[in-house]
Amino acid sequence: MHFEIFHLTRFEYSNSVTESVMELRMQPLTNENQHCTSFSLQLSPSARIFEFVDQFGNIVQHFDIPEKHSKLEITTKSFVEVNEPQKLPESLPLESWKQLDEEIEKGDFWEFLLPSQFAHPTQPLTDLQKELNATREKDPLTLLREINSFFKANFEYAPETTEVDSPIDVAIKQRSGVCQDFANIMIALVRGLKIPCRYVSGYLFHRTNDRSHIAQDATHAWVEAYLPTLGWVGFDPTNDLIVGDRHISVAVGRDYTDVPPTRGVFKGNVESQLSVAVRVRQAETDEIESSELHAIRRKGFTVTMKPKIQEAAQQQ
Amino acid sequence: MEKDYGDITSVIYDEMYGKSDEPLAHYRAVSETISNMPHEELLQRQQAADLSFLHQGITFTVYGREEGTEKIFPYDLIPRIITGDEWNTIERGLKQRITALNHFLHDIYHEGKILNDGIVPHELVFTCKYYRREMRGVDVPKGIYISVVGTDLVRISDGSFAVLEDNLRVPSGVSYMLANRQVMKRVFPRLFGNYGVRPIENYGQQLLTTLRALAPREDREPNIVLLTPGVFNSAYFEHTFLARQMGIELVEGRDLLVHDNVVYMRTTAGLRRVDVIYRRLDDDFIDPLAFRPDSQLGVPGLFNAYRSGNVALANAIGTGIADDKALYAYVPKIIKYYLDEEPILQNIQTYLLDDDSNRKYVLENLDKLVVKAVGESGGYGMLIGPHSTREEQAKFKDLINENPRNYIAQPTLALSTAPCLIENEITSRHVDLRPYILYGDEISIVAGGLTRVALKKGSLVVNSSQGGGSKDTWVL
Amino acid sequence: MLSRVADNLYWLSRYLERAEHTARVLDLTLNLLLEQHSDEQMRARMNRVLEGLFAEDLPENSSLYDMTNALAFDQKNFASINFCLAKARENARQIREQISSEMWEHLNALYLDVTKISIDDVWQNQTTHQYFRKVKEGAQLFQGLAASTMSRNECWQFLQLGRYIERATYNAHFLDVQVAELQKSEHYPVVAKDFMSWVGLLKCFTAFEAYCKVYTADLKSDRIIEFLLLNAEFPHSIRFSVDKMEQSLNAIEEMTEVKRSAKLKRMVGKLRSDLKFSQIEEVLEAGLANFLEGIQKQNDRIHQGIYDVYISYPIDQAIAQ
Repeated sequence: MHFEIFHLTRFEYSNSVTESVMELRMQPLTNENQHCTSFSLQLSPSARIFEFVDQFGNIVQHFDIPEKHSKLEITTKSFVEVNEPQKLPESLPLESWKQLDEEIEKGDFWEFLLPSQFAHPTQPLTDLQKELNATREKDPLTLLREINSFFKANFEYAPETTEVDSPIDVAIKQRSGVCQDFANIMIALVRGLKIPCRYVSGYLFHRTNDRSHIAQDATHAWVEAYLPTLGWVGFDPTNDLIVGDRHISVAVGRDYTDVPPTRGVFKGNVESQLSVAVRVRQAETDEIESSELHAIRRKGFTVTMKPKIQEAAQQQ
Repeated sequence: MEKDYGDITSVIYDEMYGKSDEPLAHYRAVSETISNMPHEELLQRQQAADLSFLHQGITFTVYGREEGTEKIFPYDLIPRIITGDEWNTIERGLKQRITALNHFLHDIYHEGKILNDGIVPHELVFTCKYYRREMRGVDVPKGIYISVVGTDLVRISDGSFAVLEDNLRVPSGVSYMLANRQVMKRVFPRLFGNYGVRPIENYGQQLLTTLRALAPREDREPNIVLLTPGVFNSAYFEHTFLARQMGIELVEGRDLLVHDNVVYMRTTAGLRRVDVIYRRLDDDFIDPLAFRPDSQLGVPGLFNAYRSGNVALANAIGTGIADDKALYAYVPKIIKYYLDEEPILQNIQTYLLDDDSNRKYVLENLDKLVVKAVGESGGYGMLIGPHSTREEQAKFKDLINENPRNYIAQPTLALSTAPCLIENEITSRHVDLRPYILYGDEISIVAGGLTRVALKKGSLVVNSSQGGGSKDTWVL
Repeated sequence: MLSRVADNLYWLSRYLERAEHTARVLDLTLNLLLEQHSDEQMRARMNRVLEGLFAEDLPENSSLYDMTNALAFDQKNFASINFCLAKARENARQIREQISSEMWEHLNALYLDVTKISIDDVWQNQTTHQYFRKVKEGAQLFQGLAASTMSRNECWQFLQLGRYIERATYNAHFLDVQVAELQKSEHYPVVAKDFMSWVGLLKCFTAFEAYCKVYTADLKSDRIIEFLLLNAEFPHSIRFSVDKMEQSLNAIEEMTEVKRSAKLKRMVGKLRSDLKFSQIEEVLEAGLANFLEGIQKQNDRIHQGIYDVYISYPIDQAIAQ
């Protein structure tokens, strides 16, 4: 399927800031499952844009804005072609555990097996593992399907019950959260079984006109687990889906920490507010994506640098 | 001077006496001078030396205390002497070791051959908190990761030198080495003059040459700066000292900024481009965008400028993986793997504790061994078995069981001793040696280093923060 | 030079100047009050001193002891000598490599020596005068060491700039407060009946001897004000301080070749010519308070201008050049 994605990010500051430095992970990936045919990025205020590929293969743009500004707008437009997903078998033979362990031994999966910032073992996670009874007694694919289904059945999708930097325990204890929380929790569970697992940030296109999904789930997060003979397979625990041709990957990493769409630092002692608007359209059919364009507000991932020199000027 | 200054057992090598009762030939003149000097005269010279340090403000800061944090690093008057032959071995051994470790760093941040060949376990590298994933595939200027190194050596009972620790991040102490020499020349001018000691005063010049070699652009004179965490850092004195010696600007993170991937410093005459940064700031704090977002000491965007080759950093980011104390055990294999040579300097036997049989042995023998946390330095996070209480041993037992990867154990070493003037008496104390290695267009090592002294009787801890002192080190 | 270093030098010098000024004023005040007995007079003078030094009021019934403690020893009081010395040392510590070892060692020793003295030491032993002298001489020796060990580079100029802008600002304010009080006297403008107060004012500026050399010991109030405000040769006069500020700013402009300094230059040039061309009769007629307040305001703007041009200038403007 072909998609056109429009993504607007706006930072508004309660007062002027200077010397903003920012990194973006917003350009959809090109890999065996999808092809990003074009990507454009516009900034206001304008700045020179630089690019590099990070250690996970994500394309990162970065820039700095030295002058005073009280608003920063980032607009991206992408065209992506997503392939038909591979047909997954219902299950894998039990022997695939052995095969998996052998492949891990040989390959470089360390990043996606070791604990990371969000996805690490905690007591609530251990309790959850027991509740799920997720052990290597079943074949890996069946087990992953079970874990993937667990969230929709047992967790409530509830925006604003967690923060962007909440540890997984918050969502586990209150049994609610958003896609980011479910992905981080699932990663920790799957790695606990010694299956390599990674975080994917991206977009989800909603096929129907069902208004139960609001705009913010157009930006989405899910996981990919590595399985013998199948490679990286995407699971979407929020929607209990095997990732198909409606999931558009933007960046992969160990967990959310590695792939925030924006990460920035500026000088100024201000409150900052982030609004995001996303529109995903099927390019061929001109079918309008289910949710209308409207901004959502949530806490942004920015850090304030206090202007030290100006502070010093307050000596008197 | 007679050898009756301490209760040294026969296993310990003494710098002045070796294992005999007579001073070694190269120590004779020092021994005679000190024996022939009236005691009051000796004390007076010691006081003059102390005063000179105080007045120069040569101080360090002790962590974990709020008041009165500035202290003088105690200086011992009696020099430590190393013969030319001994030094040649040390020099060759260090060059070999540093070359191999630099290969290792390049390898693990690129192809990872040594890991795939099974010489060093993947896990050891990937679980190290100093391993920087962000450095994967990044090419550093001239392929040099470790431009400034301080390697801790000890002399063991057979009189040979062994490596105790590699310091590949931001080794400190070189200013004390230089200051000790200045004071020594004033206190014992003739004795020093007669000995034909190799000079060390060119260290600043050599460091500058090393840094200049890293400059990304050769078409103009590079602007080199020393980046300090600031006045509250324990080694701040050294930062100012080195900046002055090299005639370069001493900057803090807030003096620098990145615009369009280029680093600038803010001066009264406007912005000035920066080409090479000798940074005395840990990886974690260097760039809040790339690493710890709460760092107020770093420069946002610095890592991106570095990645794109617009600025050089010494040392490179991510070198801490190679001085991890668990990795230390593999250094002989690392030397063999990259250079196909036998190590010239020995390693100390090291038990890695994630191995079950090692751990069992260590836990049963905590009272005889030294246990170190792998990521700590400066003598913090250490258990010295023979000097520890049962409670301390029990605490370390728990710590080890909790996170075995985080600890290593080594036999308690018979560190060599040297005569020191302590509380008006000449007596023996344990010493080590930290030579300083510079790696630019070539590897150079100033002849000598910092001899650190464990001032407490019988103590093996030489760190300045833990009651250590220092001596001038003479290489003949 | 790094902007941060300029900032530290500037403040190092300002704080040290302030400590010296405070020591001088306190020393004199304690001395003068030996001869005044009424509580009311004493309190009035104390309040004038506090106000003149930008210090916060003290609780009612505070004694001379309390005032001395607050203005000299209380580390938490922003106007105290100890606070100023700590700040001066802290600023110096941050830029130790920029000043000479002699300067650092002296300032460090001064700080350690002075701050270990307690109010009770000096009060019981009646050694307040020696204490204040130590502070004054210590500060002066620092400037002497600077003069004899520093190149006349940018560092030097920022030290001078800090010293003289501090002096001009504090002296304008101090003069304003003191003269306003003296002018309330029924005897004004005759000096004779308030003789000690006028002498005290001169002495607060170490100006008594210098004044006598110019005008003889015949004290006249308008001449005293003229001398402290407009004299071109006396180093504690406001005009002298502003001349020095301008010289340093011109030197810095030349050394840095900064092109954004035109406005700053105009501000200080205007202040200097105001002082140069004013006649004391006109100033008094138009109101001394207005004139002195005008100087303080202009100094504040010049201070801000220094920051805008050399220290915390906007990056985008610097890049554009």
